[in-house]
Amino acid sequence: MRWPGALLLVLGAVRTASAQDASSRAIDLERRGDYPGAAAAWRSQLATNPADLAALLGLERALSPLGRLPEMVEPVQTALRRDASSGVLGIAIRVYTAARQPDSARAAVERWSRLEPGSEMPFQEWGLAAYSARDRASAKAAYLLGRQKLGRPDAMAAELGQLAVAEAEYGDAAREWSLAIQRNPAYRSSALGILAQVPVAGRATLLRELGKVGDLSGQRLAVALEIRWGQPLAAARRLLAALSKSGGDDVPALQETLEDLRGSQSAERAIARAMVLEQLGERAQGSQRARIRLEAAQAYADGGDQASARKMLGTLAGDPSATAAMAASASSTLVGVLVDEGGIEEADRKFRELSPLLGAEDRQRLALRLAQGWIRNGRLTQADSLLAADSSIDAEAIRGRIALFRGDLARARTLLGDAGPFTGDRAAATERAGILGLLQLLEEDSLPALGEAFYRLERRDSAGAAAGFEKLAATMAPDHGGGELLLLAGEVRAGLGQNPEAEKLYRSVVAQAFPASAAAAEFALAGLFLKSARKEQAVAALEHLLVTWPTSAVVPQARRLLDVARGAVPAT
Amino acid sequence: MKRRDFLGAALGGLAVGRTGSLAGLRASRATWLLVPMDETQSDHLKAYGVTFRVLERGDKAEWFLNYRDGSFLLPGDAATQRDAAVAGVSATPLDDGQVAEIRAGLSQGNLDAVPLEKAPKVAVYAPPNAAPWDDAVTMALQYAGIKFEKVWDPEVIGDKLRTFDWLHLHHEDFTGQYSKFYLTYAGAPWLSEMVDRNQRTARELGFPNVPAAKKAVARTIGAFVERGGFLFAMCTATETLDLALASDGVDIAASFADGTPMDPDAADKMHWDKALAFQNARLELSPSMAVYSDIDGHQVNSPDRRQPLGAFTLFNFSAKIDPVPTMLVQNHRQVIPDFYGLTTSFSRQTLKPGVTVLADEAGAPWVKYIHGERGQGTWTFLGGHDPEDPQHQVGDAPTDLSTHPHSPGYRLILNNVLFPAAKKKELKT
Repeated sequence: MRWPGALLLVLGAVRTASAQDASSRAIDLERRGDYPGAAAAWRSQLATNPADLAALLGLERALSPLGRLPEMVEPVQTALRRDASSGVLGIAIRVYTAARQPDSARAAVERWSRLEPGSEMPFQEWGLAAYSARDRASAKAAYLLGRQKLGRPDAMAAELGQLAVAEAEYGDAAREWSLAIQRNPAYRSSALGILAQVPVAGRATLLRELGKVGDLSGQRLAVALEIRWGQPLAAARRLLAALSKSGGDDVPALQETLEDLRGSQSAERAIARAMVLEQLGERAQGSQRARIRLEAAQAYADGGDQASARKMLGTLAGDPSATAAMAASASSTLVGVLVDEGGIEEADRKFRELSPLLGAEDRQRLALRLAQGWIRNGRLTQADSLLAADSSIDAEAIRGRIALFRGDLARARTLLGDAGPFTGDRAAATERAGILGLLQLLEEDSLPALGEAFYRLERRDSAGAAAGFEKLAATMAPDHGGGELLLLAGEVRAGLGQNPEAEKLYRSVVAQAFPASAAAAEFALAGLFLKSARKEQAVAALEHLLVTWPTSAVVPQARRLLDVARGAVPAT
Repeated sequence: MKRRDFLGAALGGLAVGRTGSLAGLRASRATWLLVPMDETQSDHLKAYGVTFRVLERGDKAEWFLNYRDGSFLLPGDAATQRDAAVAGVSATPLDDGQVAEIRAGLSQGNLDAVPLEKAPKVAVYAPPNAAPWDDAVTMALQYAGIKFEKVWDPEVIGDKLRTFDWLHLHHEDFTGQYSKFYLTYAGAPWLSEMVDRNQRTARELGFPNVPAAKKAVARTIGAFVERGGFLFAMCTATETLDLALASDGVDIAASFADGTPMDPDAADKMHWDKALAFQNARLELSPSMAVYSDIDGHQVNSPDRRQPLGAFTLFNFSAKIDPVPTMLVQNHRQVIPDFYGLTTSFSRQTLKPGVTVLADEAGAPWVKYIHGERGQGTWTFLGGHDPEDPQHQVGDAPTDLSTHPHSPGYRLILNNVLFPAAKKKELKT
């Protein structure tokens, strides 16, 4: 009795080893891209065991890239007679769909559904198979059948939403994705990823349809999409309008939007963020409310909306839950807001009250900002005295400007030279280098008229400044600052949109033909032409510049601009 | 200039040679401009444009092969001097004596002077909506300031190629399978547009589907070469053009492209004699994998078979005996970092006998840059998409060539543009 038992064991082991060998061979053929060979190997394995799920899946993998999946109808039917498990039924659904046998596919779906009542999987499998075969109508029918059979109006909403986007049916897409998110919030990122791809032409419809969704979910999705599409202010306004009608728990929606607004901060984005923070502050309590309001005020200030920033700071002032650090931070923000608004006296008073409470770095930062405010208000002495004890490079740069505005060119040269390119942002450093370059051309140590013209520019009297530069230029030799001053006047005129005047000034500098100023003026002239869509004139000016002043410092920029004008490189 | 003119002109070229070539014709001129193409050149790529425009103005130029890495001798007239100055191209004025001295040097060693006589008429094959910044040749031509016209299927089928000397193909898929991105990028608007445009155009041209239309386009391009045209192809246009030519009567397109699956025995039915460069390639059967065959050595879109990038080395040829390949490899760098494309390189095992390898990666089973003849014309294939964007991905920012004025990879492209302007009897080793 023992002998036959042992023989069976041995035979069984041989058969198992043989099956493993066959599987390995088939998989190896698949890896090498020999799909016909792999299909044959899997078939031979199925001949031994027709319901072998691994072999059925292997055969499906091998036949799919060959476009021969319909050949599996018979092996699937054989397998189903032996094993009608969900795995085999899934393969059957895919095979019948590929073979364009919808009735058989539906029978398999219903069989699987009976095995697992309440499961969406059979319908998802059918829909996905039809979708893969680019038969979107059948896919939709499969999902809707599932929804009907399961008796759940939100069943397979994500799948139907995806289909609706592919069909450009944005109303359906809006409703289905809202349903999907209501059922499972984890679908939000998928919804956003798919809906964000809706072309520009379809976006208004999509947003309108999302707005029609009964609860807040549709609007939340619309808000997130508008942020993705670069419309943060519209998004914030939409959210606030929706919240005013909802009457529910709005905090998650506000926090979600705040999260979406993170990242690079344009002025619009900063204000959108401030609007959301303000609403969030309304709904918060205690010190958290004070902190959020402070953040909102800073965001408004960053976005350039000083009035709203001031309003937020006002609410904070009367908030008993604000800590001392918050109050100091709020006062610091307020000083900045006041400076930007022109309330320099009040800002100065606040600063002096606040000064003992501030750290050295904050105090210095505010003092610099205040000094710039005094300068803009025409009070150079106050600005100077405010910085008297500050030996930083930032203060040197501001003192240099004060000296310039007073016409003390010798001192301005020294201080601006000391500050060099080491302070302020890139634009400020470039401007400082430009001024220094001009001052070095001038022989005078004192020139009040130049200081006055620059001071007009600082105080935003650009037309007055340009006139001042032009008047002074007339008194100077072209190669001793006269040309540079005309060029500067031209740039100011161009900034004012007075293009004909600017062009005239640039042309006069070019005609003077002194290397540095003439080349720079011709470059500026070309830029002016390009902005006015006078491409041919821009090209001619740049070519003339490159040929006439080949060693000028503006040659690399000129060559680059020429490439852009000709479309030889992408404009950046 | 067609290649038959190029050869036909050889007899005339001998007479020009006896009179001292270009120098003889212009003996009255006092000065020349030497455009050096070695490391001293301030903008290698624009130097080709300056030379091209000399020819466009009806003047002559010379290409000094292997002399200072492939320098150009241009007439020293005011227009050329001005053009070089505007383009920022380094050029040295020379008098007749100095030029004679250089010529004396050229007669010794592996150097030669090739007259450049006529600006070729250049066509770039691209769909009308193609982004200009996604094609290395278009970028090189625009940066250098070389005029070209765009042609696409209607123009090719309408026989407009007869009006051009030089045709460039880039990443077009001549198997009609939309670069096999159909499944991977399903739903992407750019792909939908590409599919719609191709399907509409195929219908308008009277073809049942896109693969059929592209095969007809490929055949017309093949005929353009046969007639004496110069063909330059990069990236996937190389491989798919040959697959399209060789698959006459064989279905190699997936069902998403023509409604029927690819013939599983297609590889055995291919007519490789009709292909320009390749033979006996094994075809990729999976419709979802953006790979066509084993012609490409790097298989960038096949996770299992993808090969890392290395560097390729340009071959040296005898300037006096093999001027054509010598022109095609003129460069200030001999070893160039490799760059991916849908087709990055060409497997040695799939190259037809007689194909001239211009560059390869030492020890690797692939080559990078190949050249050959068909009928009265020539073709040159360079693998990869963008020499200055080695990992190029769909949607990447455009390459700004003003930041790569010395690009050795882009020089290879521009060598091909000037090569049809050359007029010299071709002698094969």
